[in-house]
Amino acid sequence: MSQHSILIVEDEHTLRRLLEYRLGKQYNVRTAANGEEALELIAQELPKLIISDIMMPKMDGFALQAALQEDNSTRAIPFIFLTAKADEASRLKGRRTGVDDYITKPFDIDQLMSRVDRLLERTALFQTQLDAKIGQDFSQKLMPKKMPSADGYKAFFHSAPREHGGGDIFDCSEPRPGVHFITIGDVMGKGLQAKFYAFSFLGYIRSTLHTLLGTTSSPAELMTRVNQVLVDDPPLEDTFASLLLIKWEPARNLVTYANAGHCRPVLMTARGAEVVPYSDMILGLDAGAEFKDTSIVLQPGSSLISYTDGLLEQVMKNGEQLGEEGILGYVNHAAGKPDPIQSLLKNVLSDSENSRFGDDVLMFWLEREGNRDRPSRDPAPRWFSPFSEGAQT
Amino acid sequence: MQATTMNFTIEPIAHDSVVIRIGKALDFRNAADFKAAAQEQVRSGIRNFILDFSETGILDSTGLGSIFSLYRQVSPMSGQVVFASVSRPVQVVVQLTRTYKVFRQFPTVEGAREAIR
Repeated sequence: MSQHSILIVEDEHTLRRLLEYRLGKQYNVRTAANGEEALELIAQELPKLIISDIMMPKMDGFALQAALQEDNSTRAIPFIFLTAKADEASRLKGRRTGVDDYITKPFDIDQLMSRVDRLLERTALFQTQLDAKIGQDFSQKLMPKKMPSADGYKAFFHSAPREHGGGDIFDCSEPRPGVHFITIGDVMGKGLQAKFYAFSFLGYIRSTLHTLLGTTSSPAELMTRVNQVLVDDPPLEDTFASLLLIKWEPARNLVTYANAGHCRPVLMTARGAEVVPYSDMILGLDAGAEFKDTSIVLQPGSSLISYTDGLLEQVMKNGEQLGEEGILGYVNHAAGKPDPIQSLLKNVLSDSENSRFGDDVLMFWLEREGNRDRPSRDPAPRWFSPFSEGAQT
Repeated sequence: MQATTMNFTIEPIAHDSVVIRIGKALDFRNAADFKAAAQEQVRSGIRNFILDFSETGILDSTGLGSIFSLYRQVSPMSGQVVFASVSRPVQVVVQLTRTYKVFRQFPTVEGAREAIR
């Protein structure tokens, strides 16, 4: 079950079949009887490694190797010469730029196999290291430079992307004085591709926000627009994302959000932690999807906590995922701590199956400070239904 | 006739419909295989897909994304993607993403077959 494809170029039928059989157990093998045939196959699909004879009719191994060196897309493909020419002259000729190994016949097939494995391992390692470097770069660029802040509020943030993590996004801006927008989302998929999409997607959300803010500041209307683009724009086709768009007006202690299939936020009040239930469909699936705003008044001492699915899907000691219910319990414990996110994550980890998080973890905790002189007497959260007039701000 | 790819069993039930039995997991490890297998079916004229989740313990966002791709492909051609015998872990993801508005659910594969006939 390996995607590595190897090209064998050998004019002798029996040897070609033998190599095809042995290497075929581990790799995806294609064969050619001479250099010309090989070039045709390479043009169809680039192999991960080439094993080639030298003496062949029509186009020999040297000519093939020279042709590959001229093309940037093929010059880096690992290349092994396999030949009966044991004399020093051809060995030297064979050991030139772009040739990784030179094996003389008769050869030991197991030795050939181990050289192939080693070469492929090394190229895979380069690729992984490069991916990790680019991924880290994306992750850093995707993270905010500064946190939103306002009198009477504390904001906490934590993001720990994993090497092979996905496309978590977070952004905050204050497009109008006193009106903050906080964006938390997850672009579906894994690895570099998801990170790349997340990066472009976030740029798109930012520009939509700034374009539309002249006419509306409703998260739901912004969400509708972002969804249409994901569905209609060919470059973004096949991109799906969950997104939580939060408008925060600290002077009014008001938070208004629209949720497109993202992990539902948690509201921590004097009554304890509870899930903020209303959400709509994930982005990119249905052009006609509708989104609604929900508003919450943050009472003194209460907090709004949002996160991405890496936390939700963390596997605990009992073998089950943490889940929403689990998160509520940890929020109850962490509330009021000097750094509630760090305290929560530490507790989750110590109850986890593994000592590390299995995926990216991203969390944002917005806390309204309690009244210093008189403790809050208003324990009940106040909801505005997304369907009532009251939701309009 | 049944075709088996790594984790999926594909069973034709009509000229344009198949049941795909999703195995124990549909996640970042096999989502590309699922996508390829489903695309192959679409190319050969299949429009309706019943996804059987009875054994599925893991459905992550990459796996769900591959189902979304299938939906995006067949829905303009009046095709359907429906879910059958949805396990609890799958239900959690479907609830979270609110995609039950798009994927009809049936308690059994038989029920789904009746409905899309």
